[in-house]
Amino acid sequence: MAETVYKKISQDITEKIKKFSADYNGRSTGRVIFSGDGVIRADGLSDVQYGEMLDIDGKSRAIVLDLHEKEIGAIVLDEADSVYANMLVKSTGHVVEVPVGVELFGRVVDSLGNPIDGLGPIGAKAFRPIEAPAPSIRERAKITEPLHTGILAVDAMVPIGKGQRELIIGDRQTGKTSVAIDAILNQKGKNVYCVYVAIGQKASAVSGIVHTLGVRGALEYTCVVCATARDSAPLQYIAPFSGCAIAEEMMYSGKDVLVVYDDLSKHAVAYRAMSLLLKRPSGREAYPGDIFYLHSRLLERAAKLGSGFGGGSMTALPIVETQAGDISAYVPTNVISITDGQIYLESTLFNAGVRPALNVGLSVSRVGGSAQSRAMKKVSGRLRLYLSQYRELSSFAQFGSELDNSTVQMIETGKRIVEVLKQSKHSAYDSVHEVIILYIVMKDLLQEVPTDKVNDFVKAFCSFLDINCVDIVCEINEKNDIGLEIGLVIEERVKEFSKFYFEEIVNE
Amino acid sequence: MSLQTQKNSGKIIAVVGPVVDVKFDGYTMPKINEKLSVEVGDGCFRSLEVFSHIGCGVARCLAMETTDGFCRGMTVYASGRPICVPVGEGVLGRVMNVLGNPIDDKGEIKNDKMLPIHRKAPAFYNQSPSAEVLETGIKVIDLLAPYSKGGKIGLFGGAGVGKTVLILELIRNIAHEHGGYSIFAGVGERSREGNEMLFDMHESGVLDKTALVFGQMNEPPGARMRAPLAGLTIAEYFRDELHKDVLLFIDNIYRFVQAGSEVSSLLGRMPSAVGYQPTLSTEVGMLQERIASTKDGSITSIQAVYVPADDLTDPAPATIFSHLDSTTVLSRKIVEQGIYPAVNPLESTSRILSADIVGAQHYAVAGKVRGILQRYKELQDIIAILGMDELSEEDKLTVGRARRIQRFFSQPLFAASAFTSEEGRYVDIKTTVECFKEILSGKYDGYPESAFYMVGDLDEVKSKAKG
Repeated sequence: MAETVYKKISQDITEKIKKFSADYNGRSTGRVIFSGDGVIRADGLSDVQYGEMLDIDGKSRAIVLDLHEKEIGAIVLDEADSVYANMLVKSTGHVVEVPVGVELFGRVVDSLGNPIDGLGPIGAKAFRPIEAPAPSIRERAKITEPLHTGILAVDAMVPIGKGQRELIIGDRQTGKTSVAIDAILNQKGKNVYCVYVAIGQKASAVSGIVHTLGVRGALEYTCVVCATARDSAPLQYIAPFSGCAIAEEMMYSGKDVLVVYDDLSKHAVAYRAMSLLLKRPSGREAYPGDIFYLHSRLLERAAKLGSGFGGGSMTALPIVETQAGDISAYVPTNVISITDGQIYLESTLFNAGVRPALNVGLSVSRVGGSAQSRAMKKVSGRLRLYLSQYRELSSFAQFGSELDNSTVQMIETGKRIVEVLKQSKHSAYDSVHEVIILYIVMKDLLQEVPTDKVNDFVKAFCSFLDINCVDIVCEINEKNDIGLEIGLVIEERVKEFSKFYFEEIVNE
Repeated sequence: MSLQTQKNSGKIIAVVGPVVDVKFDGYTMPKINEKLSVEVGDGCFRSLEVFSHIGCGVARCLAMETTDGFCRGMTVYASGRPICVPVGEGVLGRVMNVLGNPIDDKGEIKNDKMLPIHRKAPAFYNQSPSAEVLETGIKVIDLLAPYSKGGKIGLFGGAGVGKTVLILELIRNIAHEHGGYSIFAGVGERSREGNEMLFDMHESGVLDKTALVFGQMNEPPGARMRAPLAGLTIAEYFRDELHKDVLLFIDNIYRFVQAGSEVSSLLGRMPSAVGYQPTLSTEVGMLQERIASTKDGSITSIQAVYVPADDLTDPAPATIFSHLDSTTVLSRKIVEQGIYPAVNPLESTSRILSADIVGAQHYAVAGKVRGILQRYKELQDIIAILGMDELSEEDKLTVGRARRIQRFFSQPLFAASAFTSEEGRYVDIKTTVECFKEILSGKYDGYPESAFYMVGDLDEVKSKAKG
């Protein structure tokens, strides 16, 4: 009797051991021992790699961020409250990857590359890990080609070259996103792919942007990567890296890409949340010590590649939101020190009706100058310094002290330049028009035009040229230069046109 | 592979960011600062450096390359020596990373020998303080905060105020004139700049006399922490063994401190003020004391110092300040006025600005210029409230002169000619002092302010005022 019982028990155990080994081997599987706030700790998993993706009970995914002797730490990408203690965790054998390729363009996807626009599966043929090393020093080439944004103030004073990283910075509601969206819209028909990454924004705002892109025919060459405010901090954290991987695929296949990260201050906040939950110590403004490295390794991946490496480029326009115009806060200065320049939008200018509300003194482009066309360089060369001086002089001249003639002249021209640079959103200028407009204002040909009519005047003049003097436009376009002769012709035309223009005003 | 034949190997037991714990058999622990190699498969190795021993045969290490793809249980081989870089004349014209490996497609680097990057500062009796002026050709620097040969110079500035442009200008002006060997250490800065610098140096022909070491911002903190040491080691060899006077450019030394703070807490240290490492001042001290001029030769170092959040009282720049002989402070307020280089004349200082070194005339002119600018600064508050007209005649004169001096401090730079479309100017010290003396004397009060803007010397002011 007893013997049969023992036999039965030992048989049961043997069977169970047989079954058990297939299910739980402790090398590629483990169990959740702690779960809270989107952070899990799990045992087992001895073969798991740093940065690997984990599968939790077939329902959720997590990324390994800590490897300890007996356990691992990971962050959950999906809903954190669906992960319980004792759930089975499996390693997947690969790091976090997103689908890449031309199929992604025209689509809206989440941080992991899954479509969220309701247009069915994407059918991408390739995948890329979201983290990748930046192109090395020898793979890079000098930035020489302009990326035309159609915004006169930007193209003239803070020109952007293909492969450049230009930060757009300013308080909320100062038109940061509009500048970036205008830059995307202006790439139509120019063979530039665009990636727009929305981080931590409200879903309705992103949907509005997708709508704008769709209506203006820009969605077909744009991929929108979207981690809205309702997504978890880890998903917001990986969103720009996913967008970067999608852009990188195009860059390495020799194409030009423009990628917009909107915005990196929310990204920093998401990373801070994650990092504090992982119990990593914090520094200035409670951000973790490696917050600089987080953004530097992301933005360094944007580059212009040398001809031996396909010659593609990735231009990045990160956006950072400041509080009360304080660009010397921690995250803004970090990102400023990474990028190749910044476009600083100021709320006082915005409210005063100067749009785009570009602060000339604090906006710079460290490389764009070498990427400008010869014509543009000629007309805009002294514009920036001229405007800074005008600003300084006009505040100095406020107190009615007697001014010499050259100063008065400078202030008058300065006022007209400010007027000319005003431009409403989604109304891009053609690059030839930009050159002509700057030429006439810098040559002081607008002294007779009253300040409030200047903007209207130059626009009307451009359409006048398009209709009546196609030869001028063509010549500048062909030569990519504005010479002495053509300058004189333009001067003639301005005189001719102003007569006609003022008559019309009087008639009105 | 020779590494496998070595007996001393351990296993990875933990990875947290760039910090890796490796367990060894307790009797054969690698030394602190020893270089280790992790085998990641396919015959590839990645480097670690031992940071501390934490007991039970475990060495806590810092990764010099990315830790992505590391697993527990991977084999780690001890190399028996610290990270070494090639030194000697063979490194000139070459570009290497922090591990001493070439990154410029020109094959192996020829070297006299390989030296460890961790070394001691020169002994006290060997120090040689210097007191000779080094001309930069930049008016505001030469006049108010002159640099000394064999000294340590810091360029302080927040983000985007023009540190890198100024360092490029100094490389151009000094390295060309100097004609000796230069070492450039790129620490935590943009890879694009590295590429452009390489190209420019090649064009201008200084590359053959320059060695470059890069640990840029896309690399993990370990590489950024060790890149300045690697550059310095190369410079020390030229100084000690070949008895040369060398120039050492470091852009940017703040990134060295920053990298240290990124890993400090992960290494198990308590954070200090503003989250910096508790060892901040000793880390900076160890590095800065090695940059010294000795009886064998000299190292003149020019270091860019990033000022986080424009806060000069931040522990990192504040610590670095005390190690320098001359400081050039760049400020955002001056950038806003459109004055480049945006040197703040009142905050920049130099240890050698004294009458017996720069000469009585230079000293007197510099003092007067400083005085007039200080007075203008005080008057600005009054002007802001009451306007110019309320000032006394004498003060009006001071304001006018100060504004002309401020503008005259601006100068077209060679390194910035791509943005300003203007050729740079090199103004020698003698001319600089003469020019400011003339302006102070009041001879130029009649010229419009704008004539002083972005020019070289006073002849240019005259011609600009005319035309």
